[in-house]
Amino acid sequence: MASSNPLASTLGSLIAPHLSRRAFLRRSTAASLWIASPLAALPRAQAAIQNNAVLADYTLEISELEWEIAPGKRIHTSAYNGQIPGPLLRLTEGKPVTIDVVNRLTRPEIVHWHGQWIPPSVDGSMEEGTPMIAPGARTRIQFTPRPFGLHWYHTHIHANRDFHLGLYNGQFGFLLVEPSVGASSSARASSRDGWEASPGAYDQEHFLVLHEWDAYFVASDDGSEEVAYRYGTINGRMLGHADPISVRPGQRILLHILNASATLPHWLALPGHQFQIVALDGRPVPTQAKVDTLRLGPAERISALVTMDHPGVWILGETDPELRDAGLGAVIEYAGSTSKPQWTDPASLSWDYRAFGDATPHIGPKPDIALPLVFTSKFQGHGALNRWMIDGKSFPDQVPITFRQGLRHRLIFNNRSMDDHPIHLHRHAFELASIAGKPTSGVYKDVVIVRAGTVVEANLIPDNPGPTLFHCHQQDHMDLGFMALIHYA
Amino acid sequence: MHSSHSWGLVTGHGFIPSAAFPAAKGCGLGAGAFARLLKGHDFSRAIASQKRTRALAPAQCLFHARGNLSFVFLCLLLLASSAALHAQGNYEIQVYGAETVAPKTLMVELHSNFTAVGQKYYIDGQAPTNHAEHETVELTQGINDWSEVGFYIFTSEQSGLGAQWVGDHIRPRVRVPESWGWPVGVSLSTEVGYQRALFSYDTWTWEIRPIVDQTRGRWYWAVNPALERTWHGPDVNLGIGFSPAAKISYDFNKYVSGGFEYYADYGSITDIASLHDQQQQIFPAVDLNVSPNWEINFGVGLGPTAATDRWIVKGILGRRFTWGHQPPQPLPQGP
Repeated sequence: MASSNPLASTLGSLIAPHLSRRAFLRRSTAASLWIASPLAALPRAQAAIQNNAVLADYTLEISELEWEIAPGKRIHTSAYNGQIPGPLLRLTEGKPVTIDVVNRLTRPEIVHWHGQWIPPSVDGSMEEGTPMIAPGARTRIQFTPRPFGLHWYHTHIHANRDFHLGLYNGQFGFLLVEPSVGASSSARASSRDGWEASPGAYDQEHFLVLHEWDAYFVASDDGSEEVAYRYGTINGRMLGHADPISVRPGQRILLHILNASATLPHWLALPGHQFQIVALDGRPVPTQAKVDTLRLGPAERISALVTMDHPGVWILGETDPELRDAGLGAVIEYAGSTSKPQWTDPASLSWDYRAFGDATPHIGPKPDIALPLVFTSKFQGHGALNRWMIDGKSFPDQVPITFRQGLRHRLIFNNRSMDDHPIHLHRHAFELASIAGKPTSGVYKDVVIVRAGTVVEANLIPDNPGPTLFHCHQQDHMDLGFMALIHYA
Repeated sequence: MHSSHSWGLVTGHGFIPSAAFPAAKGCGLGAGAFARLLKGHDFSRAIASQKRTRALAPAQCLFHARGNLSFVFLCLLLLASSAALHAQGNYEIQVYGAETVAPKTLMVELHSNFTAVGQKYYIDGQAPTNHAEHETVELTQGINDWSEVGFYIFTSEQSGLGAQWVGDHIRPRVRVPESWGWPVGVSLSTEVGYQRALFSYDTWTWEIRPIVDQTRGRWYWAVNPALERTWHGPDVNLGIGFSPAAKISYDFNKYVSGGFEYYADYGSITDIASLHDQQQQIFPAVDLNVSPNWEINFGVGLGPTAATDRWIVKGILGRRFTWGHQPPQPLPQGP
């Protein structure tokens, strides 16, 4: 689906800095934000704030919303600027941005700028000290974006057992930070330069957000409650109820996929096609390996190129048939193909972060500080959610965790629970050092899935002082204690 | 989650074949009096051990109509003979939860129930329950996320009879889907089946069983206010019987839950039997939640009324089997 939407050209400048002129022209006309709704981020001219002399670059308005995910299926939720997902915000690394947020809800809200290395006062976490936005209030947020890459913004309030709060609703949107002209500080920080290896030209660019709706509690296999959903959508529409992504044989499409689920990891496949992984959590990877399936934990982002070399009409969708039937999928339609969308199960589900790391892992100097963090759960009944703990404590109780600026830290995520956890560190990114005892390097993340019963190690040199929230990005886990506030010494 | 635990903690129900206990409600003479009168005939224990307490309408009518001694004796004789019309329950002792078996899944359960102290004598050719070992195989196939069909094979083994096939039942069941988000689990089961006259004179019976349950924190409760009807047998004319069951349990930890299960038969819904004549059973019971694929339940039941088997030991061992095409599963950690 070609689009001339000016906000849609994007990460191409990050991952394909050496595009040919022909590719550039193709991109400029075909790049699209594949969502049914128009982008509603109000540009500067439209976002005038009467009470401020300086106009905001963007205005986000949080309000209740009735949203049709399929003909006859409407959900009641809250969202940004009356659309799902919220508008794509395009920022430039190093260039200060002003964003006004208007809270039209009857509850306090807060917006977290996920993946950004910004001060705690604006990061969007009340635990770090960001002020909440009172009902009916307007607040102005100013920060200097870094690092570049594909990030997102979303609400960061607790939901507990209320499915109308937190990430159970529609308060999420893409935040795209393009690198500044010239050498990027964050690119330097990546220290791998792998991202500079051009993935080559692409013909279309699409942004896809996974989310589920109408949550309810069910019994889980591990004996405690968990959250299930009636519907799933990509960009706010159920499978089969959105315009297909129209492609031509031989084209390369760049997919930017965000899992904005409150609780569910997702596996995606596109039968007959492979994904060439270009970036994880917005950070280009050293090895652009090709895979048959994608795994995204809540809050993870994947940018992948797909060569359209298998004509037909296909479902890009969840590998779990129940979730796919609930709506988690999109249709890829080759020009001239009119058949019913086809789905074939992948042979297996496989995902290993190490496949995208350095071919030969760099074993760096011995870390100055080893910081083991042990994740455990406490059973609270078959009719209750588990209580979660880091080092034996549930937030707000916690053992002191301290970063020392400039020193090499080795974060050791030791998951002793029976669940996988998407672990998120605010205001920083870390480099994966080992997965289940197997070394890796070159993959930078701000969210990493630590599978049940395994250990993931990551390297970090803290350089962004201030309180830093560390938590599982599963809403129900975060709500029930899986969180810690890290302080700088 | 408002159904039973995912590991099938309390799904299931009691086998409710039709029966007739000569309750004398309305006749001015309770089963205790019957028992005293019948002691010399060795029927007292037999009567007291009946699982069912439904009144025998003809006897009541006669008793009311006359009230003299000869009629009393006539009633007693009729009632005594009708006592043999009782059926032997204890084939499946389980309180249903609202949860149904998932589609493409077969639940196989073995119900093993031993009557440690029960009815010791034949009554008009109907076998006693004392020291009877009842083995019931229950096969339940999930149809979709809101329905299932169960099938039962009842057997009995006891001294003098050996292993015997007792009968079969079929049990479709529907539920309110979890996705509706109701605060309690709600399900409706209906069961139709045949049992041999050696074990129940009411050979064809039907039951409808509403089910309501809730899991809240560590607590679980379920209520099954079952109604039953005889289609073929002496109880055809007795109308609808009321046989509630209930359960409450507490999760001591993730793997062990314990509580009480209650089973009763109040007789005809239009003619509730006296307490003495009702069947009442309390089972302290334990559920072991060792795996999502296994269901383990164990209990010891006390029947405090004269109409109930005194002691029963029950156990349930269940295993889920999935079949058909399954979606791909994540590979173990690593490439």
